[in-house]
Amino acid sequence: MKIALLGNPGAGKSLIFNQLTGLGIEVNRYPGSSVCLECGNVCYKKEKIEIIDLPGIYSLDGSSEEEVLVRKFLEEAKANIIVAVLDATKLERNLYLFTQVTEFSPRLIVVVNKIDEAQRQGLIIDSDQLSVLLGAPVLLTAASEGRDIDRILPLALGSAKVATVKVPYDHHIEAALNSLEKTLGTPRYKGLLALQGITEDRMLLDSAGAIAHEIELRHRMSVRQIIATNRHNLARKVAGAAVSHGDRKKTYDLDSLLTRAFPGVPILIAILFFLLLSVFVIGSWMEGIIVESFTRLVIAPFSALALPPLWDRIGFSMLIALQAGFGIAFPFIFTFYLGLSLLEDTGYMTRAAFLADRAMHRLGLHGEAIIPMVIGFGCTVPAVMSLRILKTRREQTIAAFLISMVPCSARTVVIAGIVAAFVGIFWAFSIYLIVFVLIIFTAIILTRITPGEQFGMIVEMSEIRRPQARLVIAKSWLRIQEFLFIAMPLLIITSIALGLFQYFGLTDLFQQMVSPITITLLGLPAYASTALVFGVFRKELAFETLAVLAGTADLGSVMTSVQLYTFAIVSVLFVPCTSTIAVLYRQLGARITALISLYTVFLGLLIGVVINLIMK
Amino acid sequence: MQPSLREDYLEAIQNFIEKYSHPPLTEELAAALGKPEPVVRSDLDSLISGGDVSLMPKGFISLTGQGQQTGKRVIKKHETLQCFLSEILGMDSSSASDEACTLEHAVSDETIDRLGQLIVQQDGRGYRERRRQGKKDKTAICPGGADCNYPSISDCSEGEIVVIHCIQGQACAKRLLDLGMVPGERASVKRKLSNGALVVQVKGCDVALSPEIASAIGVERCA
Repeated sequence: MKIALLGNPGAGKSLIFNQLTGLGIEVNRYPGSSVCLECGNVCYKKEKIEIIDLPGIYSLDGSSEEEVLVRKFLEEAKANIIVAVLDATKLERNLYLFTQVTEFSPRLIVVVNKIDEAQRQGLIIDSDQLSVLLGAPVLLTAASEGRDIDRILPLALGSAKVATVKVPYDHHIEAALNSLEKTLGTPRYKGLLALQGITEDRMLLDSAGAIAHEIELRHRMSVRQIIATNRHNLARKVAGAAVSHGDRKKTYDLDSLLTRAFPGVPILIAILFFLLLSVFVIGSWMEGIIVESFTRLVIAPFSALALPPLWDRIGFSMLIALQAGFGIAFPFIFTFYLGLSLLEDTGYMTRAAFLADRAMHRLGLHGEAIIPMVIGFGCTVPAVMSLRILKTRREQTIAAFLISMVPCSARTVVIAGIVAAFVGIFWAFSIYLIVFVLIIFTAIILTRITPGEQFGMIVEMSEIRRPQARLVIAKSWLRIQEFLFIAMPLLIITSIALGLFQYFGLTDLFQQMVSPITITLLGLPAYASTALVFGVFRKELAFETLAVLAGTADLGSVMTSVQLYTFAIVSVLFVPCTSTIAVLYRQLGARITALISLYTVFLGLLIGVVINLIMK
Repeated sequence: MQPSLREDYLEAIQNFIEKYSHPPLTEELAAALGKPEPVVRSDLDSLISGGDVSLMPKGFISLTGQGQQTGKRVIKKHETLQCFLSEILGMDSSSASDEACTLEHAVSDETIDRLGQLIVQQDGRGYRERRRQGKKDKTAICPGGADCNYPSISDCSEGEIVVIHCIQGQACAKRLLDLGMVPGERASVKRKLSNGALVVQVKGCDVALSPEIASAIGVERCA
């Protein structure tokens, strides 16, 4: 038995899902897409029930990855029962999606959530009336208080049915649907999609396209517009009959502060700065504890085993990778995600997107792109994954280039460990400055040469609300899984490969081959090239390897300040790490990935050479 | 019995079976055809002797293989003709149906097949031709964009209440429609930044818009 939760973004699906399933959530990536489906199992009356949380969408006939996924899900009837979650405070708008869901005629129940919030706003919802109008069972819930959530499963299993409500479309649309059904045998929901140009059947597309054009000429309105208007009209009628308005309690409108240029923009900058600062402070504190205990409890006993050299090398490389993953990446990334999920759950991120729209336009992007960019300060891998919220390929490409250059937490470790420690704190900031200038410079060039059109920002502002600790942690945990399951295996594999590389003495050969570049152009010692290459596998490895190869942790004694500075900036810019390359490849294909890698190598070397020439 | 009368009977019986998924009784058939029962009863006798119809126990009337074939063919003729008359010639659907009832008995199978092909081709060709003529009319959601000379919502100032009149540009229009920005809908401008980015309240929800998207929404101001 499968039950799927479906609804608008922010209707409270995730909270309901979390309360229904408790712990033990699996994340399934839908085949052929990067959209996550969360699944969880519950036992109800000795029957195993799988609950699926579908991504939040506004419509079923759009073209975004989420919308296509949910549409296919309904078409193929992958769930036995649909639980349509509607937001009581925005019932009319939520019913619009519901009218589309009914066209696929699944067995369903309606859950009107956030009833507590609606009461505060003076909205009274007549569930019996709503149930009669929609022809489906209706349940009122308040997920944030856990009210009546336990009634969802019994109702879904006991009385789910195909809703009887039907959108009365304009008579031309109805005639078109009839004629498609007669001539080609197209079912109603397919006919509606085909009239809006969504079908893979060429013959259907041609006939529907012809009819749609006739209708458009007659109405002086696009078919999509007519269909949307008809659906909205029904939604309004239903909502009008089922919702009555009482007194609204006055609340203070925080948006008067948050969405104005002043003080909104300073608040935005302060919040982002505070986020990064706290990640840095908490992250390095946790890093210290984890790395130290890991060395003492795992690595030291392992070395004491004194295995044969080859096995010792392989085992050691693996442990080092685990240590780096859990000790360095994990504390920074997890702290960052906690902060980010907290910001998202308060509803602030949509305000940040609105305020950032102007700055992002200069970079050829729009407001929503601030989310991947901010995530990029934590780890590039999930930042690249979140690129799908941008709607055009052009924006995704530009943003992918920029994200690959944003200093992630591992690169922060390099900057802090080499420049801040041995050259000076101001020089460390100057590296950030140089990187930001290069990002802006890259963006300006890319906006001119990247093909494709720009899509602006259309974001629904989520209401400001108090975040729930449980949800914030659950969300961060889901996100960190992306890092653990995608980046971690790669970390371990590359670390072992590197270990073998060193074991068979290939490093010296490599150093000699690239020594003209390292020594002549960059003015670095020969062994620095190996450290740079190690940095491709994991950014912070560049720093660690350099210390190992130099034979001392006091890098200041073996390299000049200029050398250290050059090394740091080259390794920060130089090629994104292997994990990033892997997700870039999956998200944007081989061509863009190769371009980004080549561009960053070239840029890194170029800046390194320039700095070497100027400062020497 | 006349061939057209025979076809009418077979069509009616086949239609009944398709609609109710059981064969009709004599009374039910008479009601469907709108004829008195004795007439139907005597006509059925000649159909039975012609080998088109057989009587089943409890008085159900079923079609023989030959009768069913004829019945289905007549139904197809009827539908094709009705579709031609209404969709291509533009007649209204009830008179198209009446006309098809008369024509279906005289028309040959070949004519029907060719007519069916023509309907599909006509639709397809007409659409492809129009697409070749220019993609412009597809991109403007407000056809004849020129007459959409209403001020755009980005010209409005904070606090103004407007009625949406039209939306230009196909790409962004879909999401706007889904969020409730359909022509005739009231919206209020909640926030406006100096670059023209807006927060618009529509159907009780706040929606943030980029300047270029806001400028594609034509509105009428409300006093």
